[in-house]
Amino acid sequence: MLGVSSLMGAGALMAQSDNAQAAAEWAEHFQGNYRLMSPQEKAEARARLERRYSAEYGKKVTVDGTEAQPGVLMGYALNVRKCIGCRRCVKACVEENNQSRGEKPGERIEWIQVLRMERGEFSKDKMNQGYPEGLGIQVGGNAYTPAGQVLEGQYHYEPKAVPEKEATYMPIACMQCEKPPCVKVCPVRTTYREADGPVVIDYNWCIGCRMCMSACPYWARRINLTNPVLPNEAMNPVTHYLGNRPRMRGVVEKCHWCLQRTRKGRYPACVEVCPVGARKFGNLLDPESEVSLILARKNVFRLKAELNTFPKFFYFYD
Amino acid sequence: MKKLSITALIFAFCLGMVSSAFAEEEVTCFESRKGASEVVKRDLQPGWPNVKCSPKTGAVLWWGDPFDGTVPMGDTPLLTHVPPGNAVVKPRSAKLAILPLCGTACHNGVIPPTLPKDKKPKAIPTMEGLLPDAKNLQHGRGRIWCLDCHHTTQRNKLVDNFGDPLSIDQPQLLCGKCHGDKMRDWRDGIHGKRIGEWASTGKKRWFTCTECHNPHNVQDGARNRGFIQLEPELPPQLPKGMKDAKHELVHGVH
Repeated sequence: MLGVSSLMGAGALMAQSDNAQAAAEWAEHFQGNYRLMSPQEKAEARARLERRYSAEYGKKVTVDGTEAQPGVLMGYALNVRKCIGCRRCVKACVEENNQSRGEKPGERIEWIQVLRMERGEFSKDKMNQGYPEGLGIQVGGNAYTPAGQVLEGQYHYEPKAVPEKEATYMPIACMQCEKPPCVKVCPVRTTYREADGPVVIDYNWCIGCRMCMSACPYWARRINLTNPVLPNEAMNPVTHYLGNRPRMRGVVEKCHWCLQRTRKGRYPACVEVCPVGARKFGNLLDPESEVSLILARKNVFRLKAELNTFPKFFYFYD
Repeated sequence: MKKLSITALIFAFCLGMVSSAFAEEEVTCFESRKGASEVVKRDLQPGWPNVKCSPKTGAVLWWGDPFDGTVPMGDTPLLTHVPPGNAVVKPRSAKLAILPLCGTACHNGVIPPTLPKDKKPKAIPTMEGLLPDAKNLQHGRGRIWCLDCHHTTQRNKLVDNFGDPLSIDQPQLLCGKCHGDKMRDWRDGIHGKRIGEWASTGKKRWFTCTECHNPHNVQDGARNRGFIQLEPELPPQLPKGMKDAKHELVHGVH
């Protein structure tokens, strides 16, 4: 273990390279876990990244490090009755968060998935039929129609227009659990819950073992199996260290509630883009916030609540 | 030296031509409702656009400045915890092409001689020609007509319960007359859409009723579940080696 990295470092030192990028990579290679860094080290790490990204993407890139504010616990609510399955949130997320957007397999990464679900039915002609055939397990809908199953194909619906008559839609992304299973399994403790709620990843410390991807019950995490494809002109230059800064090959990424925006007071990109206003975001500790009012007034549920992950992402309906 | 400067001049000229050719290529996207909330793409700062649009559907996906082109919303009853100036809207009047004409050309402050005395609906061929939705007004399913929402003499204004005119930029005060529950949810941020700052007292651009709903035909005959159907964005990439999305259905799940 020691051998490879030390040799590389020694090589870089002996070469006496003037190349700023090489020097930045050398320093980056030996930087600590972001949570354990001193404020000074954090600032240096961010300045290094700003230099490297600015050179790489040919424009001024900022890497923000705004910490969690006291008195803030971020929360999210989504109206499942309103969602029409248009996928604008998915694309807005990509525009904001610098995901890879190539064409080859594994090069297109999207954090939000929109499930299309058949509506269940209690019709007279099906009253005497047994339990769903084919799967042998009741996973949704009602006893007569196996609605609500999540098949691979149900992410890939492609009608001319949405919403379709016989479907409901359910977007899922990271639920920002209060007890996140992904954080429990991370062997290098690079993913952790921030004080204001979101579960974040220090991409530099990630070893790409994908334990978190297996542990997440909400299929929220994605890995960069290939070198990310991010055109210069499409790259969003306003970034956060724990948020949307460009990732490298071999690291895991996921939704972080647009930390680069929300820490500056702005709504996440998916909330702003939703054409039907189904997505709501606010401070759970503020009784006047829209999320607190939804919790007080509407019918709310959490996805897979039986797993005791305590998501801060709530689904509601009128 | 002279030759160099001439070359430079030619080069600069060509560059100007190219950039002007690009500038002419105007991209128009829509914010929530196609045909009712169009916005022209431009740069707020170099490399920082006001909006980013979907190449497939033409929908706005991202706002560079959420408050671009907005004005203060005006008073809304019981919206007291938001400081003045922190609630802004994009004026609807700018989107309505014939609105300035309404109050001057035809309805210039006098009661039209053809106005029915008994408030019973009456076909108005001129208006039906201008506004096809008026011919078979869907809103209210035949229980309301034009002057239940539009002011009798000031036709570029809406009307409140007391017969006083309301600005067309504040449709919430009109819609709330009947849809009080929706009005309450909208005021609390639960119904409808707002962009900007997430703090409950923060500055937000509010989307008013008519930015998302067509007031003359809210239900829209072709709709399925509360909203006019629209074109979806592209589906995600299929996993490597998968030809289509139907492979799980070959054994007949349903």
